[in-house]
Amino acid sequence: MLEEKIKHISDSFNSDFQTIDNLDKLEEFRIKYFSRNGLIASLFDELKNVPKEQKPALGKTLNLFRNNVQSEFNSLKAKIESNTSAKESKVDISLPGNPRQIGSRHLLTQTLDEIKSIFKGLGFSVSEGPELESDYYNFEALNFAPDHPARDMQDTFFVNDDFLLRTHTSPVQVRLMESQKPPVRAIMPGRVYRNEAVSARSYCMFHQVEGLYVDTDVTFAELKGTLVSFAKQFYGEDLKYRFRASYFPFTEPSAEMDITCYLCHGKGCKVCKHTGWLEILGCGMVDPNVFKHVGYDPEKYTGYAFGMGIERTAMLKYGIEDIRVFFENDLRFLKQF
Amino acid sequence: MKISLNWLKDYIDLEGISSSEIISKLTNAGLEVEDYVDQSSIYKAFIVGFVKDKKEHPNADRLSLCTVFDGKDDLQVVCGAPNVEAGQKVVFAPVGTLIPKGNFIIGKAKIRGTESNGMICAEDELELSDNHDGIMILDSGLEAGTSIIKALELNDTILEIGITPNRSDALSHIGVARDIAAIFGRKVKTPKIKAGKSTNDVKKSASVVIEDTINCPRYSAKVVRNITIKESPTWLKNKLTKIGLRPRNNVVDITNFIMHECGQPLHAFDLDQLAGKKIIIRSTKEDSKFTTLDSKERKLPVGSLMICDAEKPVAVAGVMGGENSEISDSTKNVLIESAYFNPSSIRKTAKAMGLSTDASYRFERGTDPSNTVYAAERTANLIAELAGGEILGGVLDVYPKKIKEKKIKLRYSRVEKILGYVVPEKSIISILRKLGIEIVDEIKDGINVTVPTYRPDIEREIDLIEEIARIYGYDEIPAVSRISITLGEKKDASAFADKIRQAANALGFYEMINNPLQSEKLASISGNPISLKNPLSLDMQCLRTSLLTGALNVVSQNIKYGERNLLLFEIGDAFNKNNDRKIKGFKDFTENQKIILVLTGNYLQNEWNQDEKASDIYTLKGLLKSFERKILLDNVLNDSYYHSEETEFDLQITKKFGKKVIGQGGSVKNDVLKQFDIDQEVYCFEFDLEELSKIKIKDRTYSEPLRFPKVIRDFAFTFDKSVKFGEVQEFILSEGSATLKSVNLFDLFEDESLGDDKKSLAFTLEFYSSERTLTEDEVEKEFNKLIMAVTNKFKAKLRGN
Repeated sequence: MLEEKIKHISDSFNSDFQTIDNLDKLEEFRIKYFSRNGLIASLFDELKNVPKEQKPALGKTLNLFRNNVQSEFNSLKAKIESNTSAKESKVDISLPGNPRQIGSRHLLTQTLDEIKSIFKGLGFSVSEGPELESDYYNFEALNFAPDHPARDMQDTFFVNDDFLLRTHTSPVQVRLMESQKPPVRAIMPGRVYRNEAVSARSYCMFHQVEGLYVDTDVTFAELKGTLVSFAKQFYGEDLKYRFRASYFPFTEPSAEMDITCYLCHGKGCKVCKHTGWLEILGCGMVDPNVFKHVGYDPEKYTGYAFGMGIERTAMLKYGIEDIRVFFENDLRFLKQF
Repeated sequence: MKISLNWLKDYIDLEGISSSEIISKLTNAGLEVEDYVDQSSIYKAFIVGFVKDKKEHPNADRLSLCTVFDGKDDLQVVCGAPNVEAGQKVVFAPVGTLIPKGNFIIGKAKIRGTESNGMICAEDELELSDNHDGIMILDSGLEAGTSIIKALELNDTILEIGITPNRSDALSHIGVARDIAAIFGRKVKTPKIKAGKSTNDVKKSASVVIEDTINCPRYSAKVVRNITIKESPTWLKNKLTKIGLRPRNNVVDITNFIMHECGQPLHAFDLDQLAGKKIIIRSTKEDSKFTTLDSKERKLPVGSLMICDAEKPVAVAGVMGGENSEISDSTKNVLIESAYFNPSSIRKTAKAMGLSTDASYRFERGTDPSNTVYAAERTANLIAELAGGEILGGVLDVYPKKIKEKKIKLRYSRVEKILGYVVPEKSIISILRKLGIEIVDEIKDGINVTVPTYRPDIEREIDLIEEIARIYGYDEIPAVSRISITLGEKKDASAFADKIRQAANALGFYEMINNPLQSEKLASISGNPISLKNPLSLDMQCLRTSLLTGALNVVSQNIKYGERNLLLFEIGDAFNKNNDRKIKGFKDFTENQKIILVLTGNYLQNEWNQDEKASDIYTLKGLLKSFERKILLDNVLNDSYYHSEETEFDLQITKKFGKKVIGQGGSVKNDVLKQFDIDQEVYCFEFDLEELSKIKIKDRTYSEPLRFPKVIRDFAFTFDKSVKFGEVQEFILSEGSATLKSVNLFDLFEDESLGDDKKSLAFTLEFYSSERTLTEDEVEKEFNKLIMAVTNKFKAKLRGN
């Protein structure tokens, strides 16, 4: 009896099944067979009336039947739902969503954050200092003699003879060393000013991040190792680099670090002025005169310092050719990053 | 500074060293080659042309029609230069030649209807100099068709070297040759001086007195008589042209040549113009005026070092000669000055004059006091050779206190301590010797050395270590692959600003970075500005006193680009004078880090299922509330809404912590907006980040979610319009028991039906206790009590029931 019924429902299931070609029919079909009062549920109801000895066998058959039709139904349902075009659906899912406005950090902040996170990973603290500085911190304590041409390296905005807009973040080095005994291990990001005509390549204000490490056994070799590690993390593992001699009054020996040009890979192009190299930072061993100004014993302590321009770094990394775009704050620029 | 590789070969053998090797090694050693020009490749197509004939162009007054012979053919060439004449030998660029200036290829062209087959070139078109007065006219003896590389000795490479301010010794060809010699292990040969034969002693013809021996430690001079001023020979002109100098006459060219040869600036006086045939070096005692040889009258500050004759000043020492004693075509007798001046004195004078010359540039960096006599004699030799005349015997040389070579002790252990790498002792000694540094004796762990006077930058042991490192090669020092660091407190001074930035981002604000320099007018809007002594322009004369003006500027710009809906913020410092005195210390001004939040235009955009909503004061208030919550300062700051005429805001919000004002903002006044050409409402708020960061955030602890049900009651009243929501809210909260937890507004209704001066406010009240379930009765009782209280207090009328 029940077996026949199963056979019968199975046949009608198969024939009905062929006719389903849209979501409405699918729902009709579901109600007919799978709802609480549907045909399949009714078979299970009848199982209650079957003699006890037949129950296990019939129960098994019934379960098998239900599982089969259920899985056939499920796969058809999935197929129809995915084939159903949005037009046929009650909700036009293709309509645009309502976006939520998200802000962003300025590209310079993003670049600095990346640099900061690398150096924090190398055990550096972060220090800051004022932009309106005294001549003492900006020049004198950093071994710039009053009438030395080295001062011409940094065209300065003066408030008066004693106060100026800092031309580099190096005064923070002096402030930091004055405030604590070695070891000192910190980076110092900040805004600096130069009295230079505004053009695509230079602006009267920009940002730097400076680094300083002072302890009893800090060497030039360690400076190189640290900066190479930074450059590889920031610019990529496979870069080539070189250190060449340079001059900064507050470091001795002084160096500049170049990496192979990212555009031409060292072959020479417009961006690297046909040298194949791009300068990324200046560095050196802290000059003993700087230690004397902050009361550190230059015989006991050695240290290194380095500094890089954040605009320049971002321009190299993102292919920006005009520094002024950073400060125009055109929303179309801000939204790009 | 331009250096010619061919010229270098006069002093050093470069055989077997390629120019690319020289470029890279010099750069690594600190003489950075910023650019270079391989002349033989640039000029290979240019030839000497002969202008056979010149006619007027039929269709253009200023153009000439020339027939140029290129060695094979006669070519018709249109030329625009005023100085072209038949019979000249010129630099000719045949069709197909790449012209350096402008980087274009000369093609066959019709100019004003006439065919032109090539170009007659000027110096600037060849990038030999900036001169565009006319075409270059070549030596008439040259043969047409000859390559100009041969004719002008252009088989050369010109280096542009950036010399750092410490390397005064390298500001000449011999100076650069010395570094190349040290790097490649070669020798520098300096030109020999030919002894003069004159029996006339120079001391009888002229004399030198130094009055200011501090600023002029040494003054040497030679005299050459009966010379002929004329054009320099081709070899000399070519040398100068290549390094960007314009040839003038033989004597001036020679002094320039010797300066670029050995670094000693020289000046030639017309001896017959020197009163008393006397040179006196003194500093001015008062401000004065002086006409330099460029015919400009210049102001000189007191204390300027001057070269004078018996009667008057004749030159600003080390900067520029005077018009009254300069070499002219009729000069017969010259006195050659070769001196050593105190660098800072020259720098002060040149700065005050706003003038930097090749001479002052070298003097202020420090020339070689030991080289003055050599340079004077070398110059005299060359003048006698090229201008004829008689070199008077002997030399005028006043040098009261000899500048000695510095003695320095170098410890090998110190080299290793600084570099972190052992440079072999042998290498150290050999490098120093190659640099001309003399090893006096060897001591335990080191050496004593003396440094030649042409290296004023080497004063200490550390300077010697740098010399060793740069010649040994920075690349030879290994980069360590492991470091050890001290574990200690790691501070991040930027952490608070970073947190603030995150909060602003999360609320949809974009970060901007503005130039803090602005006009006095803008900076005065919101504070007491600090102005610069030497601004770039009036637009950038002052430091901003708040972030408001910079932000409004950005709003204005963006509106011009069509972006009217903006959420922007900036974190940066604002600067204010604390008093009206001159800034003498850090107490006279404040530099505070601030954040400004700005919103304008629509907060919600028009979309298919959503209407646009313009930002208003409540959007600002709401965003500020979310902002405070995000930085864990919710319910910590108090708002107040008093209005003050002094601020830039109409609807003004002030936030305080205790009594301290932490921030201010509101809707920007129309007259302020007008200054920025902004035609829509702008809302903004500025927090003082330093004050904000000082507020201690309470340690957060977990609080269990409420287990007992809340009881919600609503009521609405009709009030007089003058009654403020905030007052009613505060009153209800103060009247309620501890179980009344919040009073919120859910509707504001104004309508004629209520009466003109009436409004309806509807409130939702939340009652609960974290300890028990409240009974209907007790809430009802309290609710009724509150209805009575509000009715009485505000003369309000309960609505609805």
